[in-house]
Amino acid sequence: MTDSPSHGLGVGDDGAADNEGGNLEQEMLEAARSLSRPAAAQSSMTSDLSIDEELTLHSIGWEPIELVCGVSLHAVPMGVWNWGQGEITYASGAYMSSFATATERIHRECAKAGGHGVVGVHVEWAVHRHHIDVTLVGTAVRPVGSKRVAAESVFVSDLSGRDFTLLHASGWAPLGLAAGASFVYAPRRSMGTAMKQKSQNVELTNFTEAMYAARESAMERMQQSAIAMRGTGVVEVKVTEGPMAFAHHAVGFTAYGTVVHLVAEQHRSLAPTTVLPLDDAVRAFDATSLRGT
Amino acid sequence: MSETPKDLPEGASRRLQELEHGLFTSDLSVNEFLLIKEVGFHPLGFVMGSSIYHTGIQTRKWGQSQELTKLTGAMYEARELAMARMEEEADELGADGVVGVRLDVNYYEWGKDAAEFIAVGTAVKAENGVSHRNKLGKPFTSDLSGQDFWTLMQTGYIPQGLVMGTCVYHIAHRGLGQTLGSAGQNVELPNFTQALYEARELAMTRMQDESNRLGASGIVGVRLEEKSHQWGSHTIEFLSLGTAVVKTSDEVTLPKPTTIISLDN
Amino acid sequence: MAEVADDLPEAAGRRFADGAFSSGLTVPDFAACLQMGLEPVGYVQGFCVMQWGWRGMASPYGGFGAPNQGGPGSYTESWRCPHGFVSAEHRGWGQNFEQSWVEDAWVQGFSSAYERMVEEATSLGAHGVVGLVDTSGRLGDLGVLEFRVQGTAVRVKEGPAPVDGRPWTTYLAGQRLAKLIEAGYAPVSITAGVASVRIWAYCITEYLTEGSATAWGSQMAGAEIEQTAKAHMAVRRIAREHVRAQLGGDSLHGASLVTTERELGQGDAELQCILRGNRVRRFKSFDPIPAPRPTVRLS
Repeated sequence: MTDSPSHGLGVGDDGAADNEGGNLEQEMLEAARSLSRPAAAQSSMTSDLSIDEELTLHSIGWEPIELVCGVSLHAVPMGVWNWGQGEITYASGAYMSSFATATERIHRECAKAGGHGVVGVHVEWAVHRHHIDVTLVGTAVRPVGSKRVAAESVFVSDLSGRDFTLLHASGWAPLGLAAGASFVYAPRRSMGTAMKQKSQNVELTNFTEAMYAARESAMERMQQSAIAMRGTGVVEVKVTEGPMAFAHHAVGFTAYGTVVHLVAEQHRSLAPTTVLPLDDAVRAFDATSLRGT
Repeated sequence: MSETPKDLPEGASRRLQELEHGLFTSDLSVNEFLLIKEVGFHPLGFVMGSSIYHTGIQTRKWGQSQELTKLTGAMYEARELAMARMEEEADELGADGVVGVRLDVNYYEWGKDAAEFIAVGTAVKAENGVSHRNKLGKPFTSDLSGQDFWTLMQTGYIPQGLVMGTCVYHIAHRGLGQTLGSAGQNVELPNFTQALYEARELAMTRMQDESNRLGASGIVGVRLEEKSHQWGSHTIEFLSLGTAVVKTSDEVTLPKPTTIISLDN
Repeated sequence: MAEVADDLPEAAGRRFADGAFSSGLTVPDFAACLQMGLEPVGYVQGFCVMQWGWRGMASPYGGFGAPNQGGPGSYTESWRCPHGFVSAEHRGWGQNFEQSWVEDAWVQGFSSAYERMVEEATSLGAHGVVGLVDTSGRLGDLGVLEFRVQGTAVRVKEGPAPVDGRPWTTYLAGQRLAKLIEAGYAPVSITAGVASVRIWAYCITEYLTEGSATAWGSQMAGAEIEQTAKAHMAVRRIAREHVRAQLGGDSLHGASLVTTERELGQGDAELQCILRGNRVRRFKSFDPIPAPRPTVRLS
């Protein structure tokens, strides 16, 4: 669910406000001068995190170490999309297997690099006629200068560096990515038949049942995955649903999110302060939209 | 809200049981999750309800602008079914309410004259065990985001339910002919004006009726949506939506904001 | 007329001779530059057009039949068909291999464009280039690929002359660059690495990709398409390795990993992965900022 644009749990950096211009100029000059010296012999870090994410991670003592990824694709046999009944198990299976295998691979790369977990994972998946692929790209992170941990405790999450920091401050930690899917055929009875039998506007119960059940099924599989990880909850669940472009009578429902658990004794309140930005641009009046926000 | 017999799919019960055993799921962002915790609530689980409804257009007299009452009934009934099922799921979980409710409509190519109405949200419960259910003893529903919920709870008001009013109106074709007759002159088209005015008022009134039934003090975040769904441009559904709220305390605990000016874009 | 290198257009010289600068910076980015003591001196660009035939090497089936050897140290992996003799068209073996000639051509195009931009910057006496934008695209259907690198050349107030006469460069501009500096990183240069992997499908891959797996036993239905998955992992790994080789102890910040795939039928495909980012060097130890204050904006 995206935040409403007018409200935001923002993360403000008071440091910048205190910085006089002269200080920044001094630092730029120092940076430019440092280029004539060779790089210190330290291991290289690679990361796709933004500087804001890196700064927020640093504020809790974590650092990025390496860009990692995992990709997998599983086959869907021919004829599977032809109109049948009930669930298209090959498709549901292919989605979940691809997701699981891709997660295993990014997990392995992270553990190999000495990371404690992956944050900011971009999740991309696509359903093609004969295969379903899942691609995960993220940055492995760890507490600054720490040693490796056991592979089992390495986490993978699509939380941004900022969200990871906020949860950490409240006493929560991510465990992994949970995903579920259910692909189904639209019920067989043609709409024409249904219409002839009903002259009134009524609910079409068999269609309702099929779609509702599939949605629940996808969610439930995601939950099972979360329970297997011994998680307390799943946040930022992303749900998609829709017919396949190449087979309109087949509908896919997917859900994935980051599994979290409470590591502190109890949830720590953040006690946010409220701010009222006086940023209204004078000429921003748009009569067609609500003036308030 | 209409009384609907228990009609959730079998899979739903299984899923809800898992949630009752302690796991929570939500499509709330991390921000919203944390803010809900701030006002003493905990997410229980993602809840949903859906209904596929036949929404074919009834025969209509072409000469008059009028409400298509059967269709209004259908659109209302369909959304109510979806909402009721979502509330039932929340009820099963023992929730106090549902936040972040989204009402969507899906059209499928294989279902001409039919549409799927979906209601989804995150069920929440107060951590102090005090019931925050609405006047009817049911979990409240609201389309408030986590941030809006946080803000509202600190003003002494709490949500009662997502209220809606709908009206499917047909704009007479003959009005067009009259338009052509007066082409070249800038005049009011009284037929059109009256039709659209009446339709919107009907939708709003019905929404307010729902709010009154909940014993609410008022409605926040009202918005009016207009859709033609699959009926062509002369038939429009006017949907009015908002969250009914009730005042429970005079105390406003919302901290006084610091005014800031951001010097960025 | 400013002195420009031989392979830059004459118009560039005239443009640079003009006193006023042009820049690609937005107003906020411009203001941030001045805050950092960076003075924009001009908009600089470099281009290179490369011939780009996508045909590459045809599959050995119906073409020439030997497995590709690849260059020294380049990726190659092969598969043997598990079936006995089936037919002449049956793909008895398959191979994933790195197309180092494609990678070399891309590097050549990109470097030429980059170097020309650097020449323009140098002729302006710039210390660095910020807000760099690099794109490449085909021009219509002419079978050519154009590399474009553009940015805003800047001088650091009272700053030293560039090391080896080469200005530092970065994709960042404005507040992002300011925060990078405050975090203790100095921009060194932008870095890009490319990997190109070709898949010559063997029979199993072909059948799984075409969806006819069930013809060969239902246990394959729903299986992973291993050859293709390995190619995907390899292409991303190689791009990262190429970039790492250029870092020389520095770090890569704000990277972007983009992979494209071109399907060639019958399970064959060509994958390309480009990793771009900012090569940065730590110039001071970094004290973590105090825990940021969470706020809720009321409108």
